[in-house]
Amino acid sequence: MLKGIWLALIPLALMAQTAPPAGTNTANKYVGSEVCKTCHADVWLNFYKNPHYKSIASGKETPERTGCEGCHGPAGNHVAARGGKATIGAFSNFTPDETLTTCLSCHSKDVSRASIRNSAHTKADVVCSSCHSIHKPATPKFLLAKQQTELCYTCHASQRAQFEMPSKHRVNEGAVQCSDCHNPHGSALSAGSTTQHMGGSSAALQPAFNNEQPCLKCHVDKRGPFVFEHAAVKVEGCEGCHVPHGSTNAKLLTRPVVFTLCLECHNGAGTFGRSNFSVFRTSPAHNLQDPKYQRCTLCHIKVHGSNSDQFFLR
Amino acid sequence: MMPTMKTFFPLILIGAFLPAFAHAQQTVAPTTGEATGSVRGDNVGTYNIVQQWELGYRFASVGGDSGSYRSDVNYHNGIRLLNSSLTINSRDGHGKWFDEITLSTQGLGHDPYESATFRIQKNQWYRYDLLWRSNDYFNPGLTVANGEHLIDTNHRWQDHELTLLPQNWYRLRVGYGRTAQDGPALNTATPFDSQGAVFPVFHNVRQQFNEYRVGGDATLHGFRFSILRRWEFFKEDSADTQTTTLTGAALPFSSSTDPSVLTSFNRSQPYRGDTRGWLANLSGERKFVAVNARFSYSGGRGDFVQNERALGIDRFSNGQNRQIAVTGNGTRPVTTGDLNLTLFPASKLSVINTTSISNTRISGNNHFVQFDNATLSNDNLNFQFLGIRLITNATDVKYRFTKRLDAFAGYRYSNREIRSIEDSADPGQAFQGLTGQQTNVLQAGVAGVNWILLKDLRLHVEGEIGRDDHPFAPNSLANYHAIRARVRYAKRKYSVSGGYQQNYNNNSIQITAYSSHSRNYNGDATWNAKSWLALDASYSNLHLDTIGGLQFFAGSPRASLVADQSSYYISNIHAANLGLRIPIRKRADLYAGYSLTRDAGDSRAAYILPRLAPGLADLYHAETFPLTYQTPLLRLSVQITPKLRYNLGYQYYGYHEDFGLLAQNQNYRAHTGYTSLLWSF
Repeated sequence: MLKGIWLALIPLALMAQTAPPAGTNTANKYVGSEVCKTCHADVWLNFYKNPHYKSIASGKETPERTGCEGCHGPAGNHVAARGGKATIGAFSNFTPDETLTTCLSCHSKDVSRASIRNSAHTKADVVCSSCHSIHKPATPKFLLAKQQTELCYTCHASQRAQFEMPSKHRVNEGAVQCSDCHNPHGSALSAGSTTQHMGGSSAALQPAFNNEQPCLKCHVDKRGPFVFEHAAVKVEGCEGCHVPHGSTNAKLLTRPVVFTLCLECHNGAGTFGRSNFSVFRTSPAHNLQDPKYQRCTLCHIKVHGSNSDQFFLR
Repeated sequence: MMPTMKTFFPLILIGAFLPAFAHAQQTVAPTTGEATGSVRGDNVGTYNIVQQWELGYRFASVGGDSGSYRSDVNYHNGIRLLNSSLTINSRDGHGKWFDEITLSTQGLGHDPYESATFRIQKNQWYRYDLLWRSNDYFNPGLTVANGEHLIDTNHRWQDHELTLLPQNWYRLRVGYGRTAQDGPALNTATPFDSQGAVFPVFHNVRQQFNEYRVGGDATLHGFRFSILRRWEFFKEDSADTQTTTLTGAALPFSSSTDPSVLTSFNRSQPYRGDTRGWLANLSGERKFVAVNARFSYSGGRGDFVQNERALGIDRFSNGQNRQIAVTGNGTRPVTTGDLNLTLFPASKLSVINTTSISNTRISGNNHFVQFDNATLSNDNLNFQFLGIRLITNATDVKYRFTKRLDAFAGYRYSNREIRSIEDSADPGQAFQGLTGQQTNVLQAGVAGVNWILLKDLRLHVEGEIGRDDHPFAPNSLANYHAIRARVRYAKRKYSVSGGYQQNYNNNSIQITAYSSHSRNYNGDATWNAKSWLALDASYSNLHLDTIGGLQFFAGSPRASLVADQSSYYISNIHAANLGLRIPIRKRADLYAGYSLTRDAGDSRAAYILPRLAPGLADLYHAETFPLTYQTPLLRLSVQITPKLRYNLGYQYYGYHEDFGLLAQNQNYRAHTGYTSLLWSF
C-alpha cells in the first residue's frame, strides 16, 4: 500500500520538478531520464533493450553522458516549455555535422569508427542518423534503421542490381553482408574516391588485416605469399579481373570469356608490368584459333599465384 | 510498412523482427522476421524474452542446366529451420549473469546458405559475439574452362570475439576466427607438355585458416589507444589424383590422332603459412581537432612442398614417367602507417588530411627438380621478389554555407614504387635474372556539393578527375574522371530517388588504346499508399563499353602474330525490381515481387560476326553476352493464431542466354518454394 502511494506521488513530484514558476529565466539544466519518460513513455518502455541503456544502468555516468540527455542535451528548457523540438536537441533539426559530433562524443574512440570524419558517407552528408535508428531499430545489434542489405540499397541502387545478377556474392541470400567488405564508417585508407584510388581503397573498403584486399578475408588461399606472384593481383587488386558485387559473367569476371580478359593485359604493349617494359604477350605456340588456348585457365590453373611454376601451370 | 505495426510497437522491439520490405523479395525464402500477430515478449523474473521460430519445407524443381542453377541459386529440397531468433534482455540492466542474449539463425538444415549469430553480454563486465556461416559453393566454370574446372565445396566461417570490461576506460579483447573450405573439384593437368593434351584430374579441396587475436585499449585524456596482436595460420592439403587411364584423343580440344595417354597422376602440394602481426591505433577528438593514427605490421610466411608424378604417353608417342618435386618458401612482411588529422578551425569549416604509407615486400624461392624416366632433366633454383611501396596524401576541405548547403573539395597525391626481381639459376650457378623498378604518381582532384533544395529534397553531386603518369597495367586507371549524382525526395509515405554515376578511363598508348566507359542510371520509388498496400520499384541501367588493343598468335597451318585486333566489349544491363505488399484484413499478408536482369549487349540478335574483319572469330562472339535473368516470386503469410502463422512462398528462376558463348549454353529454369509455420512468443 505504502509502495503504491509512493508510486502515485512520483508523477506529482516530477511535475513539480518540471514546471518552474512562470517567468523564471533559469539556465538550461539536466533533469534526468526519469523526467523524460513522463511524456515519452513509448520510448522509455523498451529502452532497457537499447544498448544505450547501459549508461543508465551503470549509474556512474555524469548527467551529460547518460540517458536521454546524453544525446539530446539538457532538457530543462524542454520541460519548462512542456515539449517542443525547439527546446531540446532533436536530431531531426540537427545538421549532419551536429549529428556526427553528438554521436562521436562517445563513439569516436572505437577503431572501426575512427576514420568516420574522412569517410565518403560523411562527405555526402550521410551521417549516423541516416542509417541508425536509436528508438525504432530494425536490428537489435547496431540499431540499424532497416536490415543491413535493404538499408544499403536505399542509396546504392546499382549495387542492388548487381547482387541480383546470376553470378554474385550471396548478399541477398544472407551468405555475406555489405559490412563484411565495407566499413560504412570509413576506412583508414579511404581517400573518398568514387573510383579505385591507386593503392588506396575507395568505397570504404574494410581491408583485411594490414591493408590487404578484403576479398582475402574469405578467399584465404589467394593470399600467399607465393614464389610466383601474379603481380597484377597484388598491385592492382582483385578488381582488375573481377566485379566484386555481381556480374552476368561466370566467376564474377569482367568479361564473359577468359581469353579476352587475359589478352587485354598480355598484349606486349610497352612500359607496363612489374619489369617495366610490358606485360608479355602470349607465346607463339598458343594458336588462339585453337579452342584450347582460348580457355587460358585450363592450363594456367594457378592464376592467382603459384609456388612452383612461373607460368602458373601447377 | 505493416498495418499491425502501430498497434504493437509500444509493446516490444518489433522493429528487430520486422521483415525488410525489399529484403523479402530477394530470395525465396525465409519469411525473415515476419511479425506473428501480436509479437510480444514474455517477462520471466527480471528478464524479457522474445522468440520466433520458422520451420518448413523447401522444394526446388530444376530444368535445363542444373550445374548453372546450382552455381547461381542452389536451393534444394528438404526440411529447414528457415529462420529463428531469440532475445533475452534484462529489464533493469543488472542481470545476474547476463543482461542480453541475442540469437538468430537462417537456413539451418542444410540450406546452401546457413548462418547463425549469437551475442551474450553483461553490462560493464563482458560481451561475447559469435558469427557462424556455411555456404555450399558450386561452380561448373563452363565458359571459363569448358566445364573441366568444377568445384563443389562447402565453405564455413566462424568468428568469436570476447570483450572484457566493455564500458571501462580500458578494455581487453580476445578473438578467434576460422575459415575452412573442403569438397570435391575437377581440375586439369598438362603433365608431360604444356602444349599437350589437357587431362581432367580430381581435386580434393582441403583448406583451413585459423586466426587468434588478443588486444586491448585504454582511454586517457579523451584519446583511446588500441593495440592488437594477431596470429594467423593457413594450411592447405588439397591434392590432385587420377587413377583411371585417359586417352588424349578422347578429350575436348584434342586431335583424334593425339596419342597422349595418362595412366595415373598424383599431385600433392601441402602448404603451411602463418602471419603474425601487430596493430596499434590512437584516436580521439577535441574541439578543434580529431586524430586517428594507425600502425600495423605483419610478417607472413609460407612453406610448401609439391610432389607430382605422372605416368603415360606424351603427344610424341613416347612413354613418360615424370616426377616433379618442388620445395621452398615465401615471405611477405607488410608495414603500414596512417595518420588522419581533422581540423575544425571554424564551426562551418573542416579540413581533413590523411597520409598513408605502406610497404609490402614479397619474396619467395623454390628448388625445382624434374625426373623424366628416372633421369634428372631439370634442376633449378628460382627467386622472386615483388616490392610495393606506396605513399598517399589526401587533403579535403568541407565548408557549410548554410544549414542546407555545403560543399567539399580535395586533392590526392599518390606515389607508388614497384621493385621486382625475377631470377632463376641452376644450382651452383650465379643468378642472372630480370630486375625492374618503376615509380608512378597519381594526382587527383575531387569536388562535391550537398544541397537540400527543398525540405525533403536532397541533392548530392561529386566528381573526381585523375592522372596517373605510369599505370601498371593496360587497363589500370590512367586519365580518368568520375561523376556521381543523386537526388532524393522523401516523405513519410513515399520516396523517390534517382542517381547517375559515370566512370571514364582512358589508358591509351601504342597497341593498347584501352578505354573504358561506365555509366549507371538508377531510379527508385517506394509508396506506402494505404494500410493495405505498399509498393516498391526500382530500375537501373548499367552500361559498360571497353576497348583494348590486342596482340596474339593465330592462323593456320602455322600461327602468326596478329597485331591489329582489339577486344571490344559492350554490356548494357537493364535491371528492374518491383515489389507489392498487400496485407489482407490483418490476418494475411500477400507479397508479390519481380526482379529482372536483362543484358541487351550490343543489340545483335544472334551468334553472328558483327564485322567482316578476319582473324579470330571467337573474339567477336565474346564482345557481348546478352542474357535475361528473371525471378518472380509470390508469398502468402496467414495468421492462424496470435502466435502462429502459416507461410507459403514460390519463386521462379529463369536464366536464358540469347546465344551461348564458345558454343556452350547454360540456360535453366527452376521452380522453388517453401511452406512453413512461424511460431513466435
